[in-house]
Amino acid sequence: MRSIPNIFAIARREFFIRARTRTFLLGTAILVVAVVVVAMLPVITRYVDRSSTERIGVWVGVEDMASDPVADLERLLNTSAGGTSSSSSTPDFTVTRYPDLASARQAVIDGDASAALGIERSTGGELAFTLYSEDVAPGVERTAVFATTSLAIADRLDRLGVAQAAQAGLFAPANLEIAWPDPEHAGSGPVAGQTGTDYLLGFGLSILIFMLIVLYGNWIAMSVVDEKSSRVMEVILNAATPLQLLTGKVLGVGAVALTQYAAILVAGVAALLAQGPIASVVLGDAGMEVALPAGLTIGMLLLLGVFGVLGFLLYGVLYAAAGSLVSRQEDVQAAVMPLALVSTGAYLIAVYSATGLLEIRDSWMAFLALVPFVSPFMMLSRVTAGVATVPEVVIAIALLVASIAIALWIAARIYSAGVLLYGQRPGLRSIWRMARTGM
Amino acid sequence: MLRIDSLRKRFDQVQALDGVTFDVEPGQVFGFLGANGAGKTTTMRIVLGFLHADEGTVMWNDREARAWPRRTWGYMPEERGLYLRMQVLEQLEFYGSLYGMPRSKAHDLARDWLERFRISEYADRRAESLSKGNQQKIQFIATVLHDPDVILMDEPFVGLDPVNVALLKSAFLELRDRGKTLVFSTHQLEMAEELCESVAIIDHGRIVTTGPTRDVKRSTGRQTVRLATSRDGDIDWLRSLPHVTVTRPGEDYTELHVDAAGDPQDVLEAAMARGGDVLRFEVADPSLEEVFVERVGALELEETTLAVPGGTR
Repeated sequence: MRSIPNIFAIARREFFIRARTRTFLLGTAILVVAVVVVAMLPVITRYVDRSSTERIGVWVGVEDMASDPVADLERLLNTSAGGTSSSSSTPDFTVTRYPDLASARQAVIDGDASAALGIERSTGGELAFTLYSEDVAPGVERTAVFATTSLAIADRLDRLGVAQAAQAGLFAPANLEIAWPDPEHAGSGPVAGQTGTDYLLGFGLSILIFMLIVLYGNWIAMSVVDEKSSRVMEVILNAATPLQLLTGKVLGVGAVALTQYAAILVAGVAALLAQGPIASVVLGDAGMEVALPAGLTIGMLLLLGVFGVLGFLLYGVLYAAAGSLVSRQEDVQAAVMPLALVSTGAYLIAVYSATGLLEIRDSWMAFLALVPFVSPFMMLSRVTAGVATVPEVVIAIALLVASIAIALWIAARIYSAGVLLYGQRPGLRSIWRMARTGM
Repeated sequence: MLRIDSLRKRFDQVQALDGVTFDVEPGQVFGFLGANGAGKTTTMRIVLGFLHADEGTVMWNDREARAWPRRTWGYMPEERGLYLRMQVLEQLEFYGSLYGMPRSKAHDLARDWLERFRISEYADRRAESLSKGNQQKIQFIATVLHDPDVILMDEPFVGLDPVNVALLKSAFLELRDRGKTLVFSTHQLEMAEELCESVAIIDHGRIVTTGPTRDVKRSTGRQTVRLATSRDGDIDWLRSLPHVTVTRPGEDYTELHVDAAGDPQDVLEAAMARGGDVLRFEVADPSLEEVFVERVGALELEETTLAVPGGTR
């Protein structure tokens, strides 16, 4: 038999016919642009941020301070201002010293500075600060309180005779560790606010797989119905077996999907990697941190590939079988409805567990994640959340592969009976008979 | 030889085939005649292996039909089917590649066929932009492009104008002369009579008669007599003769049937005994259509498709 060449010829036709259409080219282009824009968001936001750098004018009416209050202020405002971390290379604040209070206040009036700060020493010996501003945003005020308090404490320590070097130790941040409340739970835990992005990543990957399966599954079903409604099916059936036709079609549409996803992925990763160079050109500094989103490792991408491909194959062959049961495009949606419901349900469970609406560590969730129709959606978010063990992933993949073989066998039987069936949609009983007898 | 033996196939309540048996000699054009729903398409689908028979076998040259490679078979289904949004030549190349033809060879052969059917200018057009007749010619090319040994066609002449009918007929005969075996179904019995060395007539899933066309025509034992005498106008004496049925009284001549028990020579003798001159006396086999009507009933009456629950198969 010439199975392989026929499957290849059918897949090849399917691929070129689909990939040549304007809708596909345009859709891919739009997605690529969207992904590049999203990937470039950090650069874009920083570019926008840069123009909003606050300039603070300072008049220092005190001579006896141990260190330069201007430099200290700039450091304080930019390092920990109200908790906003400043790995940013563009400072949020620039601090300029003015020779007298009047000129500093004039700078605010003229718009050269957004606020002016006067530093004096009150009669009690404490430092006294006055902020001159036309409108004080709550964040700015909080930042100012924090920075000035620090200056005041440093000044008190100076006056108590504590050396500068010793002060550095006093101001060092405390050691705070964050861990899972559940003692059973091993691993790095929800440390350093990283789980937020992990959950987000699991959520995103579930969406990617869901789109892949539903969108391209529909394509497969429509393509089958197209061959039935144009009656070209019988011409092809003389040359190729239903199994070859089914396999070729799923692989052909799969190749189209793969092409689109590869284009998007390559564009996205390239945009992420290009962020550094682009940032240095646009923002004028080279120090920008370049990194893929936390958790998006090569291994994770591979796992996305494995579950994406296997999930697509499982649903794809069943979408083809569903398509073979109807003979008009109008009936496709009704025919694939059961598959759409199953995939949507599995997807929602995955999303709810990734975002915390369902408890991802429950044992029934661990069980669900092994079920073939569900695992493509759930396993990735479990891996990113760090709750999936290696044996679980391996078992899920093995079950998926086995169920694809079974689905292909059933689908081919339904398909070979369904493709010659015109007119009324068969009921469940006749579908069962087709699956049993194949004719 | 294509040997179809005792095929039975049941769809739900309908016994579609009920012991279909006939042989097709290799290198022949064979007509498969029957009303809609008589079982022609089901028989062809079983021969091609799209459907499994409940009982019976199909052999080609003493080997199970399914055991032959797919390129042995060419099939033109009754419902015309092409990829409507695909270009004609590209489409034909695709069909060829399914039978293992290299693309370049499929390309060249398809070009030759398009040339021959005078539709070269449509090679790069989408199939949907072609007229029905031209689509049908593309369909025929798709059927024979891979040079199959046995070609089964369901109603190949329906919807063609006389010029294209002539083109297709000559293609049939050329393929036959190259040793191919052609089986086609048709309603147009005069077409079958003209083209087919042998025929089979199927009705309600059973073969009514089969064999060389001439034998089938003689199978009723009846003969057609065309008679003209100088004393035309009075034909009541003819009607009174035993074993004679007047089928077409006419000004020019009268056509009558003499059934198996009678003898056309008796008619001649009776005519001469009546006096006057016998201007014309001709004995012929009945036409296929007459045989068909006698065996199956008038086509018009049988045009109803058997209602198969769940659609036609």
